[in-house]
Amino acid sequence: MTPISVVDIDYVALAPVIIVLVAAVIGVLLEAFLPEAARRSGQLLLTGSAVALAFLTVLIVAASRPFGPIAGGSLMLDGPGLFLQGLILLTSGTAILIMADRRVDPGGDAFAGRVSTLPGGEEEREVSRRGLMQTEVWPLMLFCIGGLLLFVTSNDLLTLFIALEILSLPLYLLVGMARRRRLLSQEAALKYFLMGALASAILLFGSALAYAYAGTIEFAGIAERISERTTANTLVIAAVALILVGLLFKIGAVPFGQWVPDVYQGAPTPVTGFMAAAVKVAAVGALLRVLYVPFGGMRWEWEPVLWIVASLTMLIGSLVALAQSDIKRMLAYSSIANAGFILIGVAAADQVGLSSVLFYLLAYSVATLAAFGIVTMVRVPTGEATSLEQWAGIGRRSPLLATAFSLILLSFAGIPLTAGFIAKFGVFTAAITAGALPLVIVGIVASAIAAALYVRIIVRMYFTDPVSASAGVASPSPLTVAGVGLGVALTVILGVFPQPVLNLVEQTSIFVR
Amino acid sequence: MTFLFWILATLSVIGGLGMLLSRKAVHSALWLALTMMCLAVLYVAQSAVFLGTVQVIVYTGAVMMLFLFVLMLIGVSAADSLRESIRGQRPVAVLVAVALGATLIAAVGNALDFSVGLQAANAEYGGNVQGLAALMFGRYLIAFEATAALLITAALGATILAHRERLFPRQDQRTRSVERFRSGVHPGQRPSPGVYARHNAVDVPALLPDGSAVPDSIPGPLRARGTVREIDATATEEVLDRLVGGAASDTGGER
Repeated sequence: MTPISVVDIDYVALAPVIIVLVAAVIGVLLEAFLPEAARRSGQLLLTGSAVALAFLTVLIVAASRPFGPIAGGSLMLDGPGLFLQGLILLTSGTAILIMADRRVDPGGDAFAGRVSTLPGGEEEREVSRRGLMQTEVWPLMLFCIGGLLLFVTSNDLLTLFIALEILSLPLYLLVGMARRRRLLSQEAALKYFLMGALASAILLFGSALAYAYAGTIEFAGIAERISERTTANTLVIAAVALILVGLLFKIGAVPFGQWVPDVYQGAPTPVTGFMAAAVKVAAVGALLRVLYVPFGGMRWEWEPVLWIVASLTMLIGSLVALAQSDIKRMLAYSSIANAGFILIGVAAADQVGLSSVLFYLLAYSVATLAAFGIVTMVRVPTGEATSLEQWAGIGRRSPLLATAFSLILLSFAGIPLTAGFIAKFGVFTAAITAGALPLVIVGIVASAIAAALYVRIIVRMYFTDPVSASAGVASPSPLTVAGVGLGVALTVILGVFPQPVLNLVEQTSIFVR
Repeated sequence: MTFLFWILATLSVIGGLGMLLSRKAVHSALWLALTMMCLAVLYVAQSAVFLGTVQVIVYTGAVMMLFLFVLMLIGVSAADSLRESIRGQRPVAVLVAVALGATLIAAVGNALDFSVGLQAANAEYGGNVQGLAALMFGRYLIAFEATAALLITAALGATILAHRERLFPRQDQRTRSVERFRSGVHPGQRPSPGVYARHNAVDVPALLPDGSAVPDSIPGPLRARGTVREIDATATEEVLDRLVGGAASDTGGER
């Protein structure tokens, strides 16, 4: 009889996750004990410092800790994991800056003052008259970030699933908490919740099948069992298929990303930015680890699937984006298309592919955050001006904002001297070296379609006369300016001078198995 | 063992089908409870005693019964969810579900080539519960602890969505009554129709002692419909006369 052994936990290596989750719990306590007036500033201080501290800790861990499994093998400390953790904290920090803004909306921040009040009711009016704000948003954000950090480093299917739930649950809530157009927001939250629960269940089912096949849920153990196999085993193929569905759902790839447009449109815009950036980074990170580490030996089985999904995602994302008249829906489809480009790099299935995906994630996430940050600023009296018609002539009234948005769109389109160009070039090169030329051709066609879309918006901003219903630009607080500014600056810097970051992703892009 | 398996497996599949096909939500919940109970017995039969017990206590006993209570309190009616909002969705869904089920059954049935058995796993740490503890507080400690974040999020979320603060002062009987007197409307009961009138019908207004009608005594819907019966002045006079005449004869003719 074996005695129960105590797990040796390296608390320093685990510190980023611990800091964020403990701060979230403290945030919940602040809700209970701080008076209403002090809550918002207290929560902001706590959330901001926790994310900053966690980011610093990631740097310290990366510099000082040896790579390998930590916490009894539940988590894996390695280059891609740490890079993605850093990227998640960077993008979350930027998203928090945009979320904290309370100047662009005269009513307060982007969230409903009290979510429990009926939309359009007497109580809602009273809440906005008193200027109340729902400060539980901040602990929820921290829980979500903690889940994201666990998601990209988890080293077995159980931890992966629990991390997925920790990051999803706060998102379901945050999506339904918009201050404006609340019914749309609540509908989006319900849709996301139902679809997300189904996707989680599918992932769990796949994990169970993987356990039935390998007798273990640890990534290393599954990889070992797969490398020993001599014949094709239907069980493990079913397992990979189901796990892929669960992860591709979070990434928003066609045909599993049907929820993306509705949810991105309905959610409060800073939350949309956060989902499009940080959550997508984490989901791609987890997909990379799952495909490369435990199921790396089955590359020939999952690669064709990924080819099809990537092609469909790029083409449908770009084509449907062309037909949109709502800026948030347009950006949602554009993020679907971008997920397709990322999947090209994933399908390359080697170190070059991995490093190109990491760079793409960085370039894409900072740009998309800035894009949604800019959407929060363009407003009409009833809320954000999401209809594309209302964006006519913005370039003449506020040239700075229009320039920033154009830069981001050019980066999405992959025009040289922006980060998007280097990123797309990276994934295309990786795919060509891996022999995925057809995929690259589809990618180039999709890029051309998307470029037409982005140029059309730029033309609308600069060369169309403002219509009577045109939007104005709210003067943002320094927080939003900092968030958007960071995104735009990185987009340009990474486009002009990408070498240091390219070196970094190249060094980090080896999974420890 | 095989005998037990076939009986329970059949029952749990019946339970699952019953859950899907019953029209009433409460029946669905009960069918699901049956499936869960069968699974619990299967767990115990495979020497996962703790899991079987937890399945009964937590899932069937607590979660499922909570479901039932919610269904009964909210009262989901059978007509609520049966309308198809997307045409042709149901046959397609059935087709895809059957295809997926068949694929998975084939995949799983073809490939299960080994099983260690729980006897060995249970023996390793000296028992079923001990074995689970070794996993939960050992190898999977992080996953176990991280579940706390999940539970806090769920509690926090439920509070945000459901808790309503008191935004306006509480209305008790006293404040409501003060408000009513302040507002200047008639504070008491209204006279009921027909009290002093010749008819006791609801469409005849009550009469004040001076003989004038009280329009408020007629129910609102009747007034809105305009079916209020006029008071017949001669009849009133006649009644008055008779009353007064009677009274006069009683009291000696003084009017």
